[in-house]
Amino acid sequence: MVGISIAPAPEQTVNVSLHNELTDLPNVAETLDRVGVDAGIPVGTVMHLQVVLDEVLSNVIKYAWPDGGTHEFFVRIDVRDGGIEVTITDDGRPFNPLAQSPPQPPPPGRCPRPGGVGIQMVKQLVDGFEYVRFDGRNRVTLTKRYSLELPSQPGAER
Amino acid sequence: MTRSGLIITESHSGDICVVSLAGRIDSSNANDFMTRLNGLISSGEKSILVDFANVLYLTSAAFRALLVATDEAERSATRFSLCNLASHVRELFEMGGLVDAFTILGSREEALARMG
Repeated sequence: MVGISIAPAPEQTVNVSLHNELTDLPNVAETLDRVGVDAGIPVGTVMHLQVVLDEVLSNVIKYAWPDGGTHEFFVRIDVRDGGIEVTITDDGRPFNPLAQSPPQPPPPGRCPRPGGVGIQMVKQLVDGFEYVRFDGRNRVTLTKRYSLELPSQPGAER
Repeated sequence: MTRSGLIITESHSGDICVVSLAGRIDSSNANDFMTRLNGLISSGEKSILVDFANVLYLTSAAFRALLVATDEAERSATRFSLCNLASHVRELFEMGGLVDAFTILGSREEALARMG
């Protein structure tokens, strides 16, 4: 079950709550898509954030609560002038996604292993990636800057 | 678009099984994607071409699925290739350091000609 509340644009904050189930992820992806369209954020910027957000959220779902059970955690999307910030907060066990090992080179003649690929991509796709543990919670903050694409003016030279 | 965000369509061009993807491949559907590919390999398909023309983006979960399928294909002596990668999709393969992990061909027509 996902709860969503939206504050007015142009500067807008969207809060999404979700549970530790992969089936909740499309709701977050669709919310981010909607925020991107509403705020006029370039499609490529939103796509990069989608890739990063999927990585971070799926890690929370897989690792934050090893004993299982249903847990709620939160995503906050803040659109500001020229930038978007996404904050993920959970009360699971301490987990720093930045501390994951980079991909290991495969043995000769073998395919690469998938481990570490995600975090390698994340570091290239966002401008800021911070992790803090506070008050028994993990908090990951992603930031991405962008330039608004101005619509073409009617009558402008082509 | 389905709720999962990914539509997988299979067709045949001669002996080549073409798997066309549309939408995003992420953690919510990558397991289904992998199961579908492994099912084709285990069913005896000997040439599989995955067409990325309508893929919006893919995450590391998708790369895991593709790497597992590549391993399965090798074990089954199945040719397994990708085609029609848009520049922004290819860029994600490059960021993951995985361009050389797969057989990546050009357009579908070029790929079918190469594999035929």
